[in-house]
Amino acid sequence: MDWKQLWDIISTPDNIPIAAIAVFVPFYSWLALRQARANDRLIAQLEADPQLAKTHHRKTQPWKPGWLKEVHTWPYLMRIEFLAALIVTVILTVWSITLNAPLEELSNPNLTMNPAKAPWYFLGLQEMLVYFDPWLAGVVFPTLIIVGLMVIPYIDANPLGSGYYTLKQRKWAIVTFGFGFIVLWILMVFIGTFLRGPGWVLFPLGKTWDPTYQPYAVNRDLPDLFHITSMTGKSIFGFVVVALYFLVMGLALHKLITRKGLNRKIYERMSLIQYATMQFFLISMVALPIKILIRLLFNIKYVWITPWFNV
Amino acid sequence: MSPDTSDRDPITNQSLSLLLLISALLMVASLGWALYDEFYGLRPWKAYEQEFAVKYSAFLEKQKPKQEAAEKAIKTSPGYQALQAQADALQKSVEPQLRQLDEQAALVDQRLAVITLKYTDAHAHVTDMVWRIEHNSGSSKKSWQSDLTEFEKGPFKYQAVSLSDGRVNAESVDYEHLEDDFKALQAEKGELLVRKGDVLRPVSELRAKLQSYFKEHMDGLTATQIQGLIEKTRSMDIAIKQINLPDAGIIDRCESCHLGIREPLTITAKDMGGERAFVSHPDPDLLKIHDPDKFGCTPCHNGNGMQLDSVKQAHGEYEHWLAPLYHGSGLKGVSPGAYMEAGCQQCHASDMIVDHAPVLSAGKDLFQWRGCVGCHRFQKYDTAPEDLTAAAQTLDQNAKQRAQDLTDAAKANAAGDRAPDNATARKDYAQAEDLRLAVTKIDLETDQINRRVKFLQMDRKKVGPDLKEVRAKLRPEWIPVWLKNPHAFRPTTRMPRFRLDEDELPAVAAFIWQSGLDVKAPSQAPGDPAKGKVSFESRGCMACHAVGEGANAVGGWFGANLSRVGEKENYDYLVRWIHNPRERSAPYCPVEKRDLTAADYAKHNLPYVFDLDHSKCPNDGAELVVEQMTPMPNLRLSWEESRDIASYLMTLKEKDPSSYPAAPYLNDPKLKAQGREIVQRYGCAGCHEIAGLEDETRIGTELTAEGSKPLEQMDFALYIRQAKDDGWWTPKGFFEHKLTRPEMYDDGMLKAEGEELKMPDFFEPQNGDITKKWTPKDLPLESQQQIAELTTFLMGSVSPRYPSKYFHLPAGQQKDIQDGWWVVKKYNCMGCHQFTLDQSSVLMTLPQYQTPDGKGQLPPRLVTEGARVNPDWLARFLANPALSDNDTDRDGVRSYLKVRMPTFYFSPIEVRKLVRFFQALSAQPLPYIPQKLEPLSTEEIAMARALFTSKGAPCLKCHAVGLPAHDQYASAPNFLLAQDRLKPDWVTHWILDPALIDPGTAMPSGLFKQSDGHWVFNGPTPPIFKGYEGDQASLVMRYLFELTPSEQQKLIQMTGAGMSAVPAKSTSGLRREPASQASLSGMRRSAGR
Repeated sequence: MDWKQLWDIISTPDNIPIAAIAVFVPFYSWLALRQARANDRLIAQLEADPQLAKTHHRKTQPWKPGWLKEVHTWPYLMRIEFLAALIVTVILTVWSITLNAPLEELSNPNLTMNPAKAPWYFLGLQEMLVYFDPWLAGVVFPTLIIVGLMVIPYIDANPLGSGYYTLKQRKWAIVTFGFGFIVLWILMVFIGTFLRGPGWVLFPLGKTWDPTYQPYAVNRDLPDLFHITSMTGKSIFGFVVVALYFLVMGLALHKLITRKGLNRKIYERMSLIQYATMQFFLISMVALPIKILIRLLFNIKYVWITPWFNV
Repeated sequence: MSPDTSDRDPITNQSLSLLLLISALLMVASLGWALYDEFYGLRPWKAYEQEFAVKYSAFLEKQKPKQEAAEKAIKTSPGYQALQAQADALQKSVEPQLRQLDEQAALVDQRLAVITLKYTDAHAHVTDMVWRIEHNSGSSKKSWQSDLTEFEKGPFKYQAVSLSDGRVNAESVDYEHLEDDFKALQAEKGELLVRKGDVLRPVSELRAKLQSYFKEHMDGLTATQIQGLIEKTRSMDIAIKQINLPDAGIIDRCESCHLGIREPLTITAKDMGGERAFVSHPDPDLLKIHDPDKFGCTPCHNGNGMQLDSVKQAHGEYEHWLAPLYHGSGLKGVSPGAYMEAGCQQCHASDMIVDHAPVLSAGKDLFQWRGCVGCHRFQKYDTAPEDLTAAAQTLDQNAKQRAQDLTDAAKANAAGDRAPDNATARKDYAQAEDLRLAVTKIDLETDQINRRVKFLQMDRKKVGPDLKEVRAKLRPEWIPVWLKNPHAFRPTTRMPRFRLDEDELPAVAAFIWQSGLDVKAPSQAPGDPAKGKVSFESRGCMACHAVGEGANAVGGWFGANLSRVGEKENYDYLVRWIHNPRERSAPYCPVEKRDLTAADYAKHNLPYVFDLDHSKCPNDGAELVVEQMTPMPNLRLSWEESRDIASYLMTLKEKDPSSYPAAPYLNDPKLKAQGREIVQRYGCAGCHEIAGLEDETRIGTELTAEGSKPLEQMDFALYIRQAKDDGWWTPKGFFEHKLTRPEMYDDGMLKAEGEELKMPDFFEPQNGDITKKWTPKDLPLESQQQIAELTTFLMGSVSPRYPSKYFHLPAGQQKDIQDGWWVVKKYNCMGCHQFTLDQSSVLMTLPQYQTPDGKGQLPPRLVTEGARVNPDWLARFLANPALSDNDTDRDGVRSYLKVRMPTFYFSPIEVRKLVRFFQALSAQPLPYIPQKLEPLSTEEIAMARALFTSKGAPCLKCHAVGLPAHDQYASAPNFLLAQDRLKPDWVTHWILDPALIDPGTAMPSGLFKQSDGHWVFNGPTPPIFKGYEGDQASLVMRYLFELTPSEQQKLIQMTGAGMSAVPAKSTSGLRREPASQASLSGMRRSAGR
């Protein structure tokens, strides 16, 4: 275990946010889930007791006599927000004093730094470059991510769970988001920061980054495994595989959604367009870790090869 | 329901005041911190400046009383007091005169004040009217004209002081008089001032004397100056101190912390309470040449001049700054600050010797001497091979062009013959003529190039010996022993260890043995080793060669240490080598690429003779290589003496050569090909001449800009992690370790046969154990020093970062000097001669030259050689130091010296460089136009003769005259040489005070004394001089320049019996200064009698 190197990585000013994320993301996830569980219990209580439900006017707290029916934004919300603003300002001020921007001197065109890493918030994108064509990883996927985030309100047919923490009422949404944020974003940033060494080689955590380390990694394309040599053949083959994936994954997800209870109800409230959009983004999102896995496990570089793009 | 014990609403009843208060306080605190950081935290230099102001003024305050006391001491000293009194007395004596002048001046001023007022007004009117007259015509012109005439009549009235009696009178004059009066007054005022100055001059001269007396005796600054510094320091602005040179992109803020660097006192860290940042520059003279306002700091020192955030960043000692500060030493054997001299190299790359930078200069020297140039190209080093290649290409092109032109000319001629009309024919013939003319031009150019090729061949030297001669030169059994580890046989050798394994070693040895020419040196009779030892120690061999090992070594370092030479050499070859080391067994033709044999010459009915006068190839006319490429010169020894020396050298051995194991594989032809491949791979031909590998190029990387190589491109191999952890992941660390143990970067690497690093081991650890890995610290101090010198040189060798105007590109005499140093260093002239005052020759340090007699045997100092000798003569002498074509076993000038000025076979290129070098060292103009001397009259000749033969000036006692019986005791050159050799001015200076020019010379000083503005002989003057008014020193000088052999004969006859029987003691007694003074005083005494 190369503790010195690990410390060097963590203590680089640029990586402080990532070290912080490693602490804060689990903590706030836990906090949110705890609150959600409490609310879930309250919901169960209310559902069991209609009388209580009638008098209850605060979403997350059981009612007590003498309490105000409604709480005003001013001062009750604003003062908390102001407090938060103060604390954040203090943190940012102290941070900016103690840790300088990791600026370097004039660039030397004769020299490329190794590893050359993007700023921490883009490391997830940079990680995708390992697995996809630059224009897919750099242009198409980011666009899909943004569009995907934008369509969430339009495909969200679940009227419940707005304005309070709950797990029970929004399990599907929370699992999906958790997968997208924690696995596809935070984890990738983490990998990019801690595991990618010189030559963008994957080093186990704490192994010394040796610029001369050359692990065995020879990748092939999926069509090659089937001895398909012509470009047309490869294009068609890849298209069929990808189409099959969409079909199978779509059916599987459909089965999962329509299996029971709440999800089924939500499904029934959705229009075809809403549902198809949701399916497309879900399948695309799941494709990303699948692609990573088949690369890491089977050394397969591309599945679908065309003269214009590779997937 | 959760058991909420309280009924109070958690939202409305909760008070956040405490939290808010704490947060607000934290916020205010962080704001305060931010402000502090903004003003001080981010600006550490402010603290430095405040600290400096306090400490420096305290230091100055402490200095003040000391300097005040010193000042007082000087002012109360009798010398100062006397001057002061003199000045005061003089001041008093001129006082009445001054007063009178002042009174008169006051009167003039009074009168002038009134008149000036009147005159200025009138003059303005006149000027105005003149302009109108000039710019008008007709009637208005006339009217203005008359107005002017009217105006000039005046009268101008005023009340002014009269200069004669001082009374105020009313005066009335016209314009002309007014103007005259005004001008006269002004002139008078000026004159009064001049007179006052005249009166005061002696006083102010005395005062100036007083001041310079003070300055001479005052060490350091005066109290007033210190007070000024204190005030300056106290009122210093706390601000960034910056040098900005936009044209070079230099922005240096170093002085924001290093505030004392340019202060006029020496400030040490101790003075400043241990703060090293505040010291003054350790070499103020250097700073005077490189004014920081013009050069900044970082061009010399490196570092990040713009940075002020932290010491580390400002010094550029972090990953992202490619030019970290050049720091002091790292190794034990290195003087502190050595590596800093790397900063000089960028701009002083063209200088062979850089003043103030001894380490860098030594590094430059080592790069050549140790043979780094054999494998690594470096601009300006060893350019002969490249120049030769270029010349060969030009010759080739010329030959082709010539053939083409001739064919074209023939064609044009033929076309002219067939031409239909005259005009066309004429044109064709003209063209043919032009082409033939072009051929002539090419021929002339080819001649020039061929000559140049010959010169370049003469100048081309290799670091190692010629391996074509091995069969004649060496005992075969010795070769493998040597190749295995040259340091084991000869610790100080320049030959590095090539780490040959058991397979490679026999192959290389066999190849070298078999590629050698099959020749034998003529066999020689044995000589007398005892006589040889004397010759070896007295002829100057030891200027380059040492005998004895380790601490016992006596002699120079430039050539090989000869302690065990008897174990390896063939006697016959050694005799030939000592007789003339440049003699080759066979000439090499660079066109045919082979060594010629007698058969080649016989084919053309030519004798098998090749030397510098017979250097054309009989087969193709190309310039042959006719000399061995060694810098060792020809000492022009007789065969007998050569045999003696060789016999002596053959006795130098530790064990008998017969005890070496036989090496029968040397003649195994199967090994030859493999050996050749290895020899090629290791680039042996870079330093040695090897048959079949004459055209090999350098195998190493070019190092001209190695210091600019990014660290990431330096191959630290498996040591990268260790280097980073141990702090030598720097260019300096790389060079140091590479030079220490080049193969270290192969450690732990799996490399195929022949792919290993090729650089050989130049240094060995102190304990001699080469089986273990060693680091720079394990080396002997001497090696550490050499490594530091080379590292400094390499670190400084960067690609230019600044505009060329910042570079020192020597021109004129400066260039001559630097060019000359290359030649001087190449042939180790400094082994025998002293060129500058701070340098001593090897011979000067040897035991045999420490006695008075020994000192007299030292070769001449050449500090003022350029002023002494006629450059034309010098060129002739350098080309042939015997100054004779037949009688070569002698020294042309100083036949009395045992040490021999050898023949170096300099090419005219190098002779020119050396002559210019000497002239430039003494700031003599070139070309030299001899001064015309007044011919001597008959009487003067008689007088000179009388002086030369008088008892008081026994010139011929020491100076050689060409009589063997006399000359064996002579200790000075023959006068007949003077005419050609010397410059008259120098001769005059020399005879007046030789000890001033050459301290310790045998020539006595004080031969002449000053009398009535000219020099007269300081001794019993021969009677004939009575009434002679001329300068006697000049007379002697002119006589010397007119001296002819017959005149010298006359002198010898006149001196007579005293000539031949000069006892050796008395001549040697004249040699040293004290002795010469003694003899002089003796001379004076005899004069008194």
